Amino acid sequence: MLLLSVTVVIVSFGLTRSQAADDTGTIKEFKQSVSPEEYQRRYKEFYGNFTEQMAEEGNPADFMVDDGKVLFNKVAGTKGKSCASCHKDDGKDLVGAATRFPKYDASIKGIKTVALQINMCRKKNMGAKPMKYQSYDQLALVLYVKSLSNGMPINVSIDGPARPFYEKGKAFYYKRMGQLNFSCAVCHVKYAGYKARANLISNNRHHADHWPSYRLKWGKTGSLQRRFRGCMKNMRAKPLAYQSELYRDMELYLTNISNGLPIEVPGFRM
Amino acid sequence: MPKGIGRIKIRIPRKIKKGAVIPVKALITHPMETGFRKNKKTGKKIPAYYINDVNVYYGDKLITHCDWTIAVSANPFMSFYVKADKAAPLKIVWKDIKGGVYEKTVQITPE
Repeated sequence: MLLLSVTVVIVSFGLTRSQAADDTGTIKEFKQSVSPEEYQRRYKEFYGNFTEQMAEEGNPADFMVDDGKVLFNKVAGTKGKSCASCHKDDGKDLVGAATRFPKYDASIKGIKTVALQINMCRKKNMGAKPMKYQSYDQLALVLYVKSLSNGMPINVSIDGPARPFYEKGKAFYYKRMGQLNFSCAVCHVKYAGYKARANLISNNRHHADHWPSYRLKWGKTGSLQRRFRGCMKNMRAKPLAYQSELYRDMELYLTNISNGLPIEVPGFRM
Repeated sequence: MPKGIGRIKIRIPRKIKKGAVIPVKALITHPMETGFRKNKKTGKKIPAYYINDVNVYYGDKLITHCDWTIAVSANPFMSFYVKADKAAPLKIVWKDIKGGVYEKTVQITPE
């Protein structure tokens, strides 16, 4: 009898494993553990509002926005142009542009983010070298372009040609990986609002509206894709390169979840 | 000077009554390297680079002095209270161990 029950346990364990690590391509969506409003309430209860206070008193990333403005108007490259040559002084044409990113681009047959768009623009229109991702100048420029749309609701379209990339990003979000066999969705959908040791796991509704952000843990400003890499390291998976295809697709998926929320850059997080 | 070091923001209340005790909040960007961290790729130690001396002047008078060490976080933020009893500039001077001097002045004008 004992032997039988042990066998049953092993069989059932084997079944859950195989279901969990499903590679057939069908996504089994999780139910949101708590609503975004309930998560906000728990966040306030758990952490209070000290990050908001600190951000108000002085966000170190604010200086980067000023630096980005200078870079925007600065001539670079062989064609003697600056960003401002096409987009008017201080980027008046780009007000609201960041709300529609990431979006589909036919020339690369994929999704382009703000960071990728800037580098494409520099290469094609300015004859300048593309900027290294996560370098100070690159983040400053992205921050400035995004800050022009501050307060405007995110409106990312997933219709038409962007649809397959959205599905790919979603599949990546739900794909279990790493030695710990986690997926992004396990924490941020299934167990969002609960605690992992001394941390409250965040809800994915507000994940994409505030990047690039200053993070106390880094002591630096970083992009959403740096956060992706950090999360993948936590799952003991090998992180991908910045602006690789899957990260761009996942950024589309995450930003689409944040649709309707105002852009607030630079953010300030723990 | 490397990029993004020594940028300063000082905040004081907009309206100040004479004799009132006002909060002053100051932020400076600085890496505050402890000297104990290693570059993960090369394995070499990152040399220490931090602010060790802060002076606050109100008019000509030195009103606060701080000795900071490696325990202070990157991009240090400080706040303190000042009794605004005269119209004078408030100057804060940060000095780091590589000889960098960063300072900013705000004018306090009590009504």
